Amino acid sequence: MVAVTTNVGRNGTEPGAANILKLGRAFRYGILGLVGVFFIIPILASARFSFLGNNNTITISAYTQLFSTQQFWSTLFLSVKIGLGTVLLTLALLIPTVIWIHLRIPKLKRVFESISLLPLVIPSVVVTLGVTTSFKGLPNIIMGTPVILALEYVILALPYSYRTFDSAVQAIDLKTLVDAGQSLGAGWSKLLRFVVLPNLRSGLLGAAILAFAFCLGEFAVASLLSFTTFPVFLVQVGQVAASQAVALSLIALLFTWMPLAVIIIIFGQRNASSKKRAVSLATTIAQEETTGIA
Amino acid sequence: MASSTNVGESAQGRIGGVDSPNPALVRPRRGRRSWHSGIGTIPFLVYLGLFLVVPAISVVVTAFQNGAGTFTVSNFIEAVHGVYLKSFINSIQLSFAAGVVATVVGVLAALAVCASSNRIVKALVSSGSAVFANTGGVPLAFSFIATVGNFGVITKLLTDAGFNPYDHGFSLYSVLGLTIVYQYFLIPLMVLIMIPPIEALRKEWVDASSSLGATRAQFWRWVGIPLLAPPILAAFIVLFTDAFAAYATAEALTSGTIALVPIQRGALISGNVLAGQTNLGEALGAGMIAIVLVAGFLYAYVQRKASKWLR
Repeated sequence: MVAVTTNVGRNGTEPGAANILKLGRAFRYGILGLVGVFFIIPILASARFSFLGNNNTITISAYTQLFSTQQFWSTLFLSVKIGLGTVLLTLALLIPTVIWIHLRIPKLKRVFESISLLPLVIPSVVVTLGVTTSFKGLPNIIMGTPVILALEYVILALPYSYRTFDSAVQAIDLKTLVDAGQSLGAGWSKLLRFVVLPNLRSGLLGAAILAFAFCLGEFAVASLLSFTTFPVFLVQVGQVAASQAVALSLIALLFTWMPLAVIIIIFGQRNASSKKRAVSLATTIAQEETTGIA
Repeated sequence: MASSTNVGESAQGRIGGVDSPNPALVRPRRGRRSWHSGIGTIPFLVYLGLFLVVPAISVVVTAFQNGAGTFTVSNFIEAVHGVYLKSFINSIQLSFAAGVVATVVGVLAALAVCASSNRIVKALVSSGSAVFANTGGVPLAFSFIATVGNFGVITKLLTDAGFNPYDHGFSLYSVLGLTIVYQYFLIPLMVLIMIPPIEALRKEWVDASSSLGATRAQFWRWVGIPLLAPPILAAFIVLFTDAFAAYATAEALTSGTIALVPIQRGALISGNVLAGQTNLGEALGAGMIAIVLVAGFLYAYVQRKASKWLR
């Protein structure tokens, strides 16, 4: 903070409204550049490391060996299955709850937001131990299969998924939309399908992707409950073949980053103008609906 | 993060007040009785209770029992001795150091982003932060091993240039190394958390101060820093807990060679249990919950202060 202040003072030439916050150009790009370098170097280094053969030759053998390992595909498939299950459960839980809260008990919005942060308070390692002790009695089909992972991942990804979806609902004028729809005679299923959910597409997709990415990367719970998911496989490989493990890490990182980046870029741009559009769109849809009914 | 929501909420409240002067119009039509209005949240709360609260409580309860199920505090006594005490100290030191570094760098980066008028830079940094903040775990550990590990690319480059960092006290597989690796997800998280409060600062208070004739130094001294201090502190607590609970990265990087609480806990779950330590894992777990709870209460307190400012 001190550094910023002095910097601002030194470069503070033009007084005026928007300029109070302006920092020196060199300072701005210096900071961002340094941070950027810190984030890019490990990726480049990993790439180089994974292509490095014996005696400094370049080789793709780490990748070909990986792709021919049967376990690579089976663990990846398992993690994707768990991810999809988690996403479905998350959405089934979040959509009705968050919409209900915003419509009926908006005063409790912040309370529920804090509740959604609870999984951050209880570290996943602790939850895992609790699960093993308190769910001993559950039928084997839940405890003995990765179903338990999906069930717990819904909880552990909640801080991210809830927040994303909640802020999407916050961004649209849900009450007006619902009131408009209802006064035009739409029932709840119509409201959800044609008015509310279409307006929340970015939030839904964001929550889904965050939950999915979480599942693809989660290691602690899976390894402690002895399920060989993709990240657990990654560690096993890392103990025997370093360059394969790094290659696999790069793949895993890309798996997490690509969908996230796509979401953020596409929906980030749309969000800018969506607020106004959402209302007009909803009224249009509601109009179409009612004319259809009439 | 929450402080920005606060701004948004109060702003919306105002707009709502203007738009619909008659609150009766926006009341839900069905059922106005209070118990009625909570029904829709029951499935959510039940799910949370079943898969989060029950396991957590069972950990705390078991922590106070010995192998035969009778009440005892001996688990806790053991948990604050020897390697376990060391692991608590290591964990707290690591999380604190990692949190402080990430807070300083993150705030500077967030300020730089917010001050930038270049839209591309802004979009790039905020989307990049969202992506990197979700990085972590095992892949992150391995990519750092490939970079500055024993045989990492950068280590090799430096060694060729005549400076082997491992001969000068540096090790990736140490608390220092972990502090560096944790920056990879902590800094973006900090940037993400701080951008909204800084943007809020820009909109509402900057105009007011400058129209009253404040200089930049005056603005920061009397407005900017007092306003940003609570969100920064709150964000620091978030980072601290995030680093405190991180298990996968530490486990993959150090293979358990540094005593950290989550790793000791993991070892106890995985069955590396000595006789007489039956519920020691639970005691460590309860200790972790306690530390994070303290952080959580601090967070809530700071947030309340912050929202008072931003109201």
